Amino acid sequence: MTSKINSVLRCLVQLAAICGLLLLCNWLVGIVNFPVPGSILGLAILVILLATKVIPESAIKTGANWLIGELLLFFVPPVISVLKYQVLLRQDGLTIVATVIIGTVIALVGTAWVVDKVFKLEKQLNQRLDRLIKGAAHV
Amino acid sequence: MSDTALAIMSLLATIGFYYLSKWAYLYKKVFWLAPILAAPFAVIIFVLAMDIPLDSYFKYTHFLVMMLGPATIAFALPIYQQRKIISRYPITLTLGMITGLTLGLLSSWILVQLFPMPDELANSMLTRSVSTPFAMQATVKFGGIPDLTAMLVLMTGVIGMVICEPVFKMIGVKTSLAKGAALGAASHGSGTAKAYEIGQEEGVIASLTMIFTGVAMVLGAPLFATFL
Repeated sequence: MTSKINSVLRCLVQLAAICGLLLLCNWLVGIVNFPVPGSILGLAILVILLATKVIPESAIKTGANWLIGELLLFFVPPVISVLKYQVLLRQDGLTIVATVIIGTVIALVGTAWVVDKVFKLEKQLNQRLDRLIKGAAHV
Repeated sequence: MSDTALAIMSLLATIGFYYLSKWAYLYKKVFWLAPILAAPFAVIIFVLAMDIPLDSYFKYTHFLVMMLGPATIAFALPIYQQRKIISRYPITLTLGMITGLTLGLLSSWILVQLFPMPDELANSMLTRSVSTPFAMQATVKFGGIPDLTAMLVLMTGVIGMVICEPVFKMIGVKTSLAKGAALGAASHGSGTAKAYEIGQEEGVIASLTMIFTGVAMVLGAPLFATFL
C-alpha cells in the first residue's frame, strides 16, 4: 500500500517538474522571441540533461511514461469538437475519408519502400564497420 | 443542471470512458474497442444524450488538452533510452523522417487540390500525419484549426492501423525498420502502438520516427507554409 502511494506521489512530483520545465521554456521563448515552441525547446533541454547525466533517468521516468502512456486521453476533448463541425462533416465526409485513406497509403508505401532500401545499405555499412573495428583490435 | 455540474460530469465521463475502453481493449483486442475509437465515440454519445453545451464540456476538459505540452517534453525519455538504436541507424531514421514528412505533407496538399473542400478543412489536412501534440501546434501555421486537425489526426491513425498489414504484404516489405518507420511516420501514435504489436524493434523504430517527424513538422511548418 505504501509503495503504491509512493509511486503515485513520485509520478505527481515528476509531472509537476515536467510542467515546470514547460512553463519555464514558454516564458523563455516569449521573452527572447525564439522561433521554436516552448514544448520543443523543453524536449531538447530534457534530452541534453539526460544525455549529460545532469539528471538521472529515474528522476523523470515515472512521470514521462505516464504522459506518453495516456496521450490519447489528452486528445479526446479536441475530437469531441467535431460536434461543432457537423455541417462540414455531412457535406464533405466522403472527401475527407477518401483524402485521408489515399494520403495515408501514399505515406506508408513511400516511407516503407525508401527505408527498406536505405536500411539494407546501412546494415551492410555497419557490418563492414564492425569488422573493421574488430580487425583493428587484433592488430 | 448547473453549468459547473455539467462541466464536472463531462470531465469525469471523459476520463471514465477512456479508462473503460483501455481496460476493455486489454481483454479483447478488436480495433473498434481501441481507446482511440471507443473513447471519443462513447463521449460523443454521452454529450449528445445529456445535451451538454460544448462550452460546458470544454470548461474543465481543456485541462486534459493542456497536458499535450508536457507530453511533448516527455518524449525526451524514449529518445534518451533508444540512443543506441539512433546512433546505429542515423541514416535510416533521418531518411525515414524526411520521406514520411514530405509524403505526408505533399500527398495531403495534392489531394486537397484535387478534391474541392472548404479552406479551413483543406488547411487542417496538411499536418494530419504527425502525432497530435505536434500536429495541433503546427496546423496554425498553415491556417488550419487545431480541433479539426485533431480529428483528422485520429482518422489517419485509425486508418493506418487497419490498412498497414495488407499494404506491407502487397508491396513485400519485410524488414522491421521499414515497417516501424512507415508506421511511425505515416500514422503516428496508433501506428506506433500497432508496430509494438508486430514486434519490439518495430515499435521502437516507429516511436522514434514518430517523434522526429513531429518535431520536424513543428520546426519546419513556418517554412513549408510559405511554399504551399
